[in-house]
This record gives sequence, C-alpha cells and structure tokens, in this order.
Amino acid sequence: MNHGHGHGPRSIDRLAYQSGMGGWNPVFKTTLAVGTLVLCLAADRPAVSVAVIVALAALQKGKGGLPLQDYLGLLLVPLTFLLLGGVAVACDVSAAPAGDWNLPLPWFYLCASADSIRFAAALVLKALGAVSAMYLLALTTTACELVDVLRRAHLPPLLCELMYLIYRFVFVLLDMYGRMRQAAGARLGWRDFRSSCRSFGGTAGNLLVLALRRSRVYADAMTARGYDGDLRFLEEEKPVYGRQIAGMLLFWGILLALAI
Amino acid sequence: MTQKQRKLVRLTACAALLCGVVPTAGAMHIMEGFLPPSMCILWGVIALPFLLAGYFSLKKTVARDRRAVTLVAMAGAFIFVISPLKIPSVTGSCSHMTGTGLGAMLFGPAAVSILGVIVLLFQAILLAHGGLTTLGANTFSMSVVGPFVAFGIYRLCLRCKVNKKASVFLAAALGDLLTYCVTSVQLAVAYPSATGGVSGSVLEFLGVFAPTQLPLAVLEGVLTVIIMMALEAYAQPELRAVGFEEANA
Repeated sequence: MNHGHGHGPRSIDRLAYQSGMGGWNPVFKTTLAVGTLVLCLAADRPAVSVAVIVALAALQKGKGGLPLQDYLGLLLVPLTFLLLGGVAVACDVSAAPAGDWNLPLPWFYLCASADSIRFAAALVLKALGAVSAMYLLALTTTACELVDVLRRAHLPPLLCELMYLIYRFVFVLLDMYGRMRQAAGARLGWRDFRSSCRSFGGTAGNLLVLALRRSRVYADAMTARGYDGDLRFLEEEKPVYGRQIAGMLLFWGILLALAI
Repeated sequence: MTQKQRKLVRLTACAALLCGVVPTAGAMHIMEGFLPPSMCILWGVIALPFLLAGYFSLKKTVARDRRAVTLVAMAGAFIFVISPLKIPSVTGSCSHMTGTGLGAMLFGPAAVSILGVIVLLFQAILLAHGGLTTLGANTFSMSVVGPFVAFGIYRLCLRCKVNKKASVFLAAALGDLLTYCVTSVQLAVAYPSATGGVSGSVLEFLGVFAPTQLPLAVLEGVLTVIIMMALEAYAQPELRAVGFEEANA
C-alpha cells in the first residue's frame, strides 16, 4: 500500500527486521536506548544532544547497516511538530515590543529574543537526540522482542498478550484496508473531496466489520490449538558480549563528561 | 472490580490529584524528548489511575469470556490502523485522524484508555509518532481526555434527544479539539512564556497548532459520522457484539 509519504508502519518494521544489530540482545539494546534517552533528557546540554545524534547515527550506519539517507528521512518524520513547537517556544506574544526582534501584528507583537531562540534551538537538538535514542530501539528491535522485554520487566501477562495480538492484527488490517482502498480507487472513489470522504467512511466502517469477523476466526483457531490465556513464542538466545557493555559504559561516560 | 482493585484505583487517583493538576483540563503527539523529565513523570502519574481502571475493567471482560481477547485486540488494531490513515484533505497535505472518539463510542472510554497506551507505544516504535518518555503526556491527552470527553458528549447529546448524527459529530469533533487543547496546555506548562507565563504560552501553542488542528477536528467529526452511518446501515450484529447498541438503549 502506498501511503504517499513512505513511512508507514511497514517501513520501520521492515528496517527492524533487516537491521544488522538484530542479533544483539534485546534487553541490552533496550537498556542502551533508554539509558541514553534519559541521559540526553536529564543532561539538557546541546553538546550532549549533538554527541548522541552523531554517535547513534554512526552506530545505525556502521553496525546496523542502515543507509544514512533513510535514517535522516526517518529523523525528519516529526519535523512539522518540531518546527511548530520550536516556533512557539522561541516566540513570545505580548502587547508591547519586548524582545530583540519584534513582528507587529494587528493586535499584538510577536517577539523573540536571542535567549529564547537559543533555548528553542537547544530544545530542538535535545528532541532530535531523544528521537535518535528511540530509533536505536525502534529500528533494530522487532516489536515481538520488545514485548518480550516488557514481559521480563513484569508487565501483566494480559497486556503482553494484547500487545502481541495487536501487533499481528495491525498488519492483517492494513492488508485488508489496502485492498479496499484499491477497490474504491478502481471505482473512482478518490476522484474528488466529496467522494473521498464517502469512500473513506465506507472503507473504515467496512474495515471494522471485517476486523470483528476476523477476530472470531482467530479466537476459534487459538481455542482449537489449546489456548488458555498464555501466548508462548520461541525466543532466540542472543548473548551479550563484554565489549558491548564496555562500549555502552564508555559512551555513557563520555556523555556524562560532556554534561558536567 | 474487587475491593482491592477499587482501592488501588482510588489511591493512584489521589496521587494524581496531589500532583497539583486536576485532570479536567486531537491529533497532536508530543514528540520524543520535547518534554523535560519532571513533566514526563507528572503526566504519567496523572494518567495512571485511568489506565488502572481500564486494565481492571479489561481483566473482568476477559475473565468472563476468554475469547474476548481477540475482540479487544482487534479493537486496538483498528484504532491503530485508523489513526495513521491518510484522510482526504482539501489542501492535499497529509493529515491523520485520532480515531479515539470513534473508539470511545464503539468500545467505551475505559477500554480505549488501556488500548490507547498500547496503540501509542506502537505508534512510537512503528511510526515514530510520539515517543517513549512522552508516553504519559500523550496517553493523558489522547487516550484519557479525548475518549472520555467524546463519550460524555455523545451520551449527553443522546439523553437530550439531539439528532444522532449531530451527537456523533459533536462528540468526535469536540473530543479531537479537547485533545489538542490539552496537548497545548501540557506544552505550555512545560515551557511557560517569558512575559505571559503559562496562560500566555497556552495561547501561543494553541495559535501555532490551530491552522492544522481546527480543520482536522471538523473533518474528524464528519468522517466519524460517515463511518457510524456505514456501520449502522450494515453492521448491526457487530455493533451489538462490541456492546454499542446496549449502551444506546
């Protein structure tokens, strides 16, 4: 299914399965990603943010084998939010000119000072660093492994089970929706705005009907295989190496040194 | 809910209130890393009682009927798939709906709150919408406030004998709108403006996101009405299965 912007759920999922870091231990990867994320947020220094962005991009390229172009494209997914949020943080609204730069608008002034712009830039860098840390997890670890990590962290089994099922069903529904979208397109359903709305409502409603019907089929199939409230999957043993831990500690040490 | 569960929900609710923000206060995921750590924890604590209530109600449903698990999971997947779908838009830009209002009307707000966390987690790691540290804040705005408001408005409208389509429209549009307002408040509390304080900052964030969010809220309302019409026309048994018809009776 072509979403038009190429970053549908499938692309990140596919990259996670293809990643060269797929063989790393998922618990280790989660620790590294979450630890870096927390450090980046807690340090709140542009130098740390830049170090995180550069180091993780290098890691994704070097160890993960991810083309830099794809990675940069993914980093820019939250771009709209980043720009709008950054503008709102950098600018200030006031009745009288209050900043270093003032843009007079009909009822008020839009002001920005050097300090506020510096603050917004640091915030944008910090957010990009945090997104890189999140991508370290999202682009190298499959959703199933992540749920397994959460299961080991004693998330209630019911929720883990739901997560496994939702993850699977998302792709089932996307397939269904893709076919319906194509069918509607063949009938000129996306011709103009009015018919697009109608087609969208129709396909979404139909999707729910088919989804519920499917859920009964899945329940039957699971019951027939002796499902009693516990989904078990075969997990691959993935060892953690001493040099990986040493590398992680060294990286964190450098970040801490930059923060102080 | 058992006595113990109820106690736990009450306890966490008190903790949330103690955090100093009364939870009275759309499709804006706050991105990863945009909130300072204290705010992440704060919003997580505030969202917690709703999640626990949702979890316990879910547990009860599943204990009653083991097979309900796939139904609930399908509902979650439906919310996930609906939310990033490219919806028709006038400007040709790429816009998404939240689907939380629709979900709340179909499956009830408590179920949506717990499904919402899972959906938001998957949106973060599969779509890069939202984030891990901002999960609490996003959960509160998108899967607590949005669904509860939408559901409340829907029930209120039905009780006041408002036309059904109008109630669906109002519920979905206002639920979406309030989500966006709450997100703006969350951002403003984290980044108060230098001259206007938090209230000035709220206005700034509302203003910045309004051009994209206001038309989206209206569009979400219209599309939800169309979806509900389609469902009522040819999916009566399915609607009964998810408990929608009983809720209206």
